[in-house]
Amino acid sequence: MLDLQGYGWLLLKGLQMTVLVGLCAMFMAILFGLLGAWGKFSHSRLANWAADTYTTVVRGVPELILLLLVYYGVPKLIQDGAAALGYELRLDLNPFVAGFMTIGFIYGAFCTEVLRGAFLSVPRGQMEAARAIGMSKALAFRRVQLPLAMRMALPGLGNVWMVLIKATALISLIQLDELMRNAKLAATATHQPFTFYFLASLLFLAITLVSMLVLKRAETWAKRGVRV
Amino acid sequence: MPPEHALVIRNIKKRFGDLAVLNGISLTAHKGDVISLLGSSGSGKSTLLRCINLLETPDEGEVYVTGERIEMTRDRHGKTVPKSQKQVDHIRTRLGMVFQGFNLWSHRTILENIIEAPVHVLGIPKAEAKEYALELLHKVGIANKADSYPDHLSGGQQQRVAIARALAMKPAVMLFDEPTSALDPELVGEVLRVMRQLADEGMTMLVVTHEMGFAREVSSQVIFLHQGQIEEQGSPEQVFNNPRSERCQQFLATQLK
Repeated sequence: MLDLQGYGWLLLKGLQMTVLVGLCAMFMAILFGLLGAWGKFSHSRLANWAADTYTTVVRGVPELILLLLVYYGVPKLIQDGAAALGYELRLDLNPFVAGFMTIGFIYGAFCTEVLRGAFLSVPRGQMEAARAIGMSKALAFRRVQLPLAMRMALPGLGNVWMVLIKATALISLIQLDELMRNAKLAATATHQPFTFYFLASLLFLAITLVSMLVLKRAETWAKRGVRV
Repeated sequence: MPPEHALVIRNIKKRFGDLAVLNGISLTAHKGDVISLLGSSGSGKSTLLRCINLLETPDEGEVYVTGERIEMTRDRHGKTVPKSQKQVDHIRTRLGMVFQGFNLWSHRTILENIIEAPVHVLGIPKAEAKEYALELLHKVGIANKADSYPDHLSGGQQQRVAIARALAMKPAVMLFDEPTSALDPELVGEVLRVMRQLADEGMTMLVVTHEMGFAREVSSQVIFLHQGQIEEQGSPEQVFNNPRSERCQQFLATQLK
């Protein structure tokens, strides 16, 4: 039988952390995505420019570089800046927060495109009917435009989630005890790299399979009322 | 404006770029009037309707709904804009709009479509809104579809729900923008029947339509638009039997063929 030498629990704790950091990152990604899509639709040129720059830059730079830049680069930059002004400053980012913020920021760029397309696919008349009956812009957005766009966006967002959850493995490089890092620790300690990396990959696969099931249900729910 | 004037518009003008769509239109609808707006495509009749509830912003002119004037001002580019969006939103609750394409919210059931604005805009308790919604659905003849989604209904049924949705706000005036133009011919009758019933009950209605029979039999006033102007106006007998304008005669000749 498989002997995990007591390291099985470490993998499970890592799994828990991976799911947690992934969900937080996905939440941020949708927020950034909504912001980005808003920027692309805005009449303000500055907002258009900011949103375009955001999606171009983020999609053009490897995730790992951005992650290291945020985790190591930003605190150092601030410390050096403070030192130049004569302040002694010690700044450490929490790897969990830095991790999900960075991954969320990166995948927010992908969500931006998904959500932009989704908002464009909502028929004009839906919003017109809402405004014509007396709904304010904000109410019509919340009650009509957003739910319609979200259901169009669901398959695309699901796709982003599948890629995002795998990308969280990168956060192991900034010392967050998630699945990847714990698998590596266990593999090193036990000299069983195959066993632990293989188990870790199965656990990642399990997350993906469960996600697919959940998404399928969510899509069915969101598509209620649409005749196929 | 006295409130018995359900709707007064004065000298409405609207351009889209170089194209002048409305060249100064005025009309008054008293309580209970049914005014049919006729005209060939491009005559500006739909734009006129959309200028009344400000789905399009008129460049010039005034709109009064139940005596209340929609306040307009100019932005810094000199474009005419509503002074207060809040006032516009409020006035829109008194103007029921029925669209050519129905525009029912596809993610909500029929019942949810109807109670949406009464609950979320007027703040009516849900139970009360539901009760009235079912009453309206009964009236338009689709009470058994309350829990269906719009996509599962025929066009005629959807349009009748759209009428019920507008009525749920207890509007002072109903605006119909070619309500039967998107329907298969055999479904037109069921929608016109509901509209006739509304007219009989004394609803004030402005109807952009190509249904000459409806215009002739139901309207208290018929207006023929041509190139953004009122070309002919009067009782149905006058306009249909003795049109003075040559263009109106030609139009009627092609329509009544």
